Amino acid sequence: MRTFTSQGVRRRTVLGSAIAGAFVGSMPAMAKGDILPLGLAMPMTGSQALFGTDQVRAAQWATDDINKSGGVNGKKLDLLIQDTQADPQIGINAFNHLAEIDKVPVVATAWSSVVQAIAPVADRTKTLALSIGASSTQIAHLGKYVYTTYPLASVDVTALAKYLYNTMHKSTAAVLYINNDSGLEGARVFRDVFSKLGGKIVAYEAYDPNATDFTGMLLKVRAANPEVVHIQGLTADIPQVFAQMRQLGMQMQVTSYSAGYNPRLIKQLGSAAEGFIVTSLAPGVSEDPNVGPFIERWQKVMGRKPNGLPYTQYLYDYPYIVKSIYAWLEHHKLPATGVNFRKGLLDIREFNLPMTGRLIINPDHTVLKPVYLMIVRHGTFVPLATIS
Amino acid sequence: MDYIYSILVLAGIYLVLSSSFDLIIGYGGLISIAHPIFYALGAYTAGLLAVSWHIPAVPATLAGGAVAMVASVAMSLPAIRVAGDYLLIASIGFQLGLLQVIKNVEFTGGDAGLSNIPAAIGGPLRSQIFAAISLSLGLTVVFLIRWIVRGPYGAIITAMRDDELALLALGRNVTRIKVVILALGSGLAGLAGGVYTFYYQYLNPSQFDVLQSATILTMVVIGGMGTSLGPVIGTFLLLGLPQAITFLHLPPSIMAPFQGILFCALVLLFIQLRPQGIIAARRPQT
Amino acid sequence: MLLILGQILWTGVANAAYYVLFTIAFAIIVKVVRLWNFAQAGMMGIAFYSMYAVVNLLNWPGWLALAIGMVATMGAGLLIELYGLRPLRRRHSSSLMFFIYTLILSELISYVLMLLFGTEPVTLFPSILSPVRIIGGIVVSNWDLTAVGATAVSLSALWLFLRFHRDGQFLLAVSDNGALAELYGISAQRAYLVAMAIAGVFACEGMYLFGTRAGVLPTTANDLMLFAVIATLLGGMGRLFAAAAAAAVLALVQSYSVLVIASKWQGLVLYAFLFIVIVLFPRGFRLPSLRRRRVEQPAVTEAKA
Repeated sequence: MRTFTSQGVRRRTVLGSAIAGAFVGSMPAMAKGDILPLGLAMPMTGSQALFGTDQVRAAQWATDDINKSGGVNGKKLDLLIQDTQADPQIGINAFNHLAEIDKVPVVATAWSSVVQAIAPVADRTKTLALSIGASSTQIAHLGKYVYTTYPLASVDVTALAKYLYNTMHKSTAAVLYINNDSGLEGARVFRDVFSKLGGKIVAYEAYDPNATDFTGMLLKVRAANPEVVHIQGLTADIPQVFAQMRQLGMQMQVTSYSAGYNPRLIKQLGSAAEGFIVTSLAPGVSEDPNVGPFIERWQKVMGRKPNGLPYTQYLYDYPYIVKSIYAWLEHHKLPATGVNFRKGLLDIREFNLPMTGRLIINPDHTVLKPVYLMIVRHGTFVPLATIS
Repeated sequence: MDYIYSILVLAGIYLVLSSSFDLIIGYGGLISIAHPIFYALGAYTAGLLAVSWHIPAVPATLAGGAVAMVASVAMSLPAIRVAGDYLLIASIGFQLGLLQVIKNVEFTGGDAGLSNIPAAIGGPLRSQIFAAISLSLGLTVVFLIRWIVRGPYGAIITAMRDDELALLALGRNVTRIKVVILALGSGLAGLAGGVYTFYYQYLNPSQFDVLQSATILTMVVIGGMGTSLGPVIGTFLLLGLPQAITFLHLPPSIMAPFQGILFCALVLLFIQLRPQGIIAARRPQT
Repeated sequence: MLLILGQILWTGVANAAYYVLFTIAFAIIVKVVRLWNFAQAGMMGIAFYSMYAVVNLLNWPGWLALAIGMVATMGAGLLIELYGLRPLRRRHSSSLMFFIYTLILSELISYVLMLLFGTEPVTLFPSILSPVRIIGGIVVSNWDLTAVGATAVSLSALWLFLRFHRDGQFLLAVSDNGALAELYGISAQRAYLVAMAIAGVFACEGMYLFGTRAGVLPTTANDLMLFAVIATLLGGMGRLFAAAAAAAVLALVQSYSVLVIASKWQGLVLYAFLFIVIVLFPRGFRLPSLRRRRVEQPAVTEAKA
């Protein structure tokens, strides 16, 4: 017969307490009174925190600005933030936390893999999920409750490919892309559009996200002699690919999409970055009078420009979208649920936003926006063209 | 409440993973950390069968378990003749290599992941039903392994772990025992993958990398290797702790590193102060 | 075509430099301490961020950053040996325990670095470009020359140390037979500390080279480590310079593989190598001996009375 030793009893007590303690904290929090919550799930840590933290800051500033100017008919917006680390699993937990514990009717998130991961949760919990910044074309097909306020990959990369062929008269191109969801889609769009116009894709190479030596791949591209090289990568690798290209004596035109629109890249590459063309899906200082003061605010508070300025503009506008929907709900005397938020989004459909201008939500879950091409001249990004 | 049920679903999945891993590493003494790849193989098999051929959840999940089992045999047969540290490194290579293949082939969705996996269960009780299924599977696996290791085959397994040469001298086919343990453990991990697939309806290769190996290994080590209850304790403790920390309302920018530091510090403390884990394995009296 | 092959060869050799240094750091611990030191990733993180702090926060020159980085990394290595590994060794812990300990320690260090330095990829210096020259049609950058030169000097210094310095010879003795070495009055514990210190120096040097041309995150070292593990296995356990050669060969194979397979499969080449090496060459890959076999001499018979 087994006897319980005092050590065994003590161990069981410690165990029981530990397990209970670990789960006590997991009980849902109580909802607050007339605060109007909105959720934001962004990478605050991890390799994408460079963009994520600035985007969160932009959304926070907008929330504060709205509240300072009276909120939504006197009621204040409350921005609730969760970290996704740009990881799908953590993103699901973050979304669940916001939807189930914090009971927010709307959550904004980004990074294509995270958006795809949370899509089934959004549909199940009937929480409106707004993708802001992710560009995968799959996002338009993820379910009833998933919408984007940011144009998908087909928009800016299509515009860039057309500009290169029609305006800059480039007839041969090479596409280098990071072998992940960000790279694959955009690269495919560029290739298909450029080829359809009559251009020739002379090299189409993927690189491993962990790669640091691109010599072999670049030499293949050099041998193909393209007039333009389009890099569909991420903030960390675009400068490396670009630098190694220039060091191998490849002086042809280089382009990228909005991930390349990063002032740090110019610092890393110096004069080698001259002529680099990137896309931006948000208006610049000359197109929108609010953008100048926005950048000045960043300089004043953070001592620098934001990382990924266009993305921060879109995130700044997010609370304004939510404000409009809350006002619509109040007008129609409807409770703030995800179901009603979706109704409001589709009913309002057209928003005039302070940082990104006019936004129209299409029934097919897409949006159309002008594409702004930027070029590096004298060590800074300046506007090159606007493509409607 | 859905949030709680989603944690319970995860708990059930990790119960299967940690217990099956304990069978391999705790009872069998086989230092392979490729467990997440069999979890991935089960998950992707089930997902692809559902997406491409509309196979229902149960047969798809069973198929996932079978594929994981077969893959385990394919890995272990050539690698089993190397032992200890070499098996560990070989398993890392196998896991990362196969993950690379998953990331690079189109039909798995590549790095973008596999989405639009059809719902196996709908309705308002979905999460509750999944939680029940997952926890039931977890407990079934715990008891199954307990039954195996307490039986005559279990004695052979522990004899192999404690003194392989002696077992060889007795004329036992040690290679076959190792392959069987790995196949069984990996097959169970594949079943867990199927449950994951149909609950989350989205798969991404990043969910099955070396960090996942570290998580499962930690559950077993802290809970207590070579015990039935150890993986159970380890699972609930290590799933509950990060969730509890999120309610401390720390600034998001330090939440993740803080969780990570706490997690790692706990493991290191256990290794130094109580290496046998919370539940120590009973050794036979000499 | 020859120029392309030549360029890949040169750039591949230059890029192999930091892999060689990481491999030596890893292999010397395997050889002397008989440990798969996965905590090296953490040491590499400490190396980079201490140098980064010196250059970017204190605005001190790069050579001073390297020196301070080496001291910091050596210090980290010594602490790991004294307070982490020694207690486990005293307890006769299994290799699994050592593996878990070193792996989790590495993760702990990367989380602490994340907390202190954030998670944006940073380079040691603001610019990642270095001046280039064309030699025989091959692009040669200053970085390439620095990398190759520094690695060659370090390897030579290590060889001389092991061959002629007392501590170096003690390292070899302990790696050969620790118990026997102790009988001769050689302290195995001291040898382990020296090995850790050397590993720290090489890891830091490697991170200096890497960090001057690529962005580094707190988790970057984990990916770099695997290369060192595979090269150590390929070179054969305990064969330092063979491991270094294996690292160079692996780097070149990866570089050249781009000509034959799509770039996205480059990573798979490494893992395939790992699996094949473990299964087919568990003792490492050895070239067939070129020496002629000695003719067997007949045994000397006892003189008859």
